[in-house]
Amino acid sequence: MNAFFLWLEATALSTWVRESTSVFAFPAILSVHAIGMGLAAGVNVAMAVRLLGFAPNVPLHEMRRFAPVMWTGFWLNTASGLLLLLGYPTKALTNPVFYMKLSLIAIGMWLYVLMANRLEEADPHHTPADSPLIPADLKVRPTFIALASLASWAGAVTTGRLLAYTAHRILATW
Amino acid sequence: MVDFQMWLVRTFARATPVAAMMKTAWGWPAAESIHFIGLCLVVGAIFLFDLRLLGYARRIPIRALHRLIPWGLAGFALTAASGIPFVLTEPDQYVYNPSFHFKMLFMAAAGLNAAAFYVTSYRAATAPDAPADAPPLAKIIAVLSLSLWIGVIIAGRLLTFYRPFPCGPEGPGFLAECLPNYYGDAPR
Repeated sequence: MNAFFLWLEATALSTWVRESTSVFAFPAILSVHAIGMGLAAGVNVAMAVRLLGFAPNVPLHEMRRFAPVMWTGFWLNTASGLLLLLGYPTKALTNPVFYMKLSLIAIGMWLYVLMANRLEEADPHHTPADSPLIPADLKVRPTFIALASLASWAGAVTTGRLLAYTAHRILATW
Repeated sequence: MVDFQMWLVRTFARATPVAAMMKTAWGWPAAESIHFIGLCLVVGAIFLFDLRLLGYARRIPIRALHRLIPWGLAGFALTAASGIPFVLTEPDQYVYNPSFHFKMLFMAAAGLNAAAFYVTSYRAATAPDAPADAPPLAKIIAVLSLSLWIGVIIAGRLLTFYRPFPCGPEGPGFLAECLPNYYGDAPR
């Protein structure tokens, strides 16, 4: 495995991510990663709180419209995350917290699909009345899915932040 | 400006209980995590509302989507509550950091921009019989809001790369220069 890390870290792209002093290298990749996080997690939060019954006059069926915003964030972060991983493969892949982060994102995305399906099932012609916490037009109460989604994204963001503190190796040569 | 920035650093440095908490093993990373979770709430509420003002998801009444804004405000409260301790703990890393100056300017502009929305367009855009299309001025405000908040996020992410450390005469500075050896008589 270390041989693989050594080879990867010697590639031109990996070295550029790590060592370029341009603001358009590492700093820009991190910025894109933060914006993508806001878009992906943000749309998930908005859908989850809507499913919990907040903003009750927003037609559930129409919340689907924000799916492309979520996917924009998701793909921005897949791309920027792969670049960050390419820059510091040893640092990420030898850290158990990194695998926790990826698992939490996988759970969050699975719950996203479940939430999106619930929104899809909602009656397009029915705008729920101003009832506080339970959406009236759903067959299955999605409270649990929504709460689990909020928890998994909070966990993904937190483990992502902790990567900076929990890495015990930085480069294959160290 | 020099007097003001030295006063700022010294005043912030007096918040020793906050600094003590932030310097525990979990203080800084926990505050960072809360800061990023708050960012997600801000984007999730404010960006979606701005997109709606621009004509995205037109079938959602603007008035109805506005009910998500309190989640954005709650997110902003989280970022403020977790962000202020950073500045109180390491004031010189922020007060002399050009990226921090930009971040504060963008944030102030975003605040004024939001106030402009409530003064000029809120009533027309969220009336019960309001048309699906937001007024033109509200659209300009929405573009500014999206740009300014993206600016806040980028400037925040770039903070690390513009830390004036070690602080020297060549240190960066946008609104304030990094002053070497000013610690001499500062209460720390």
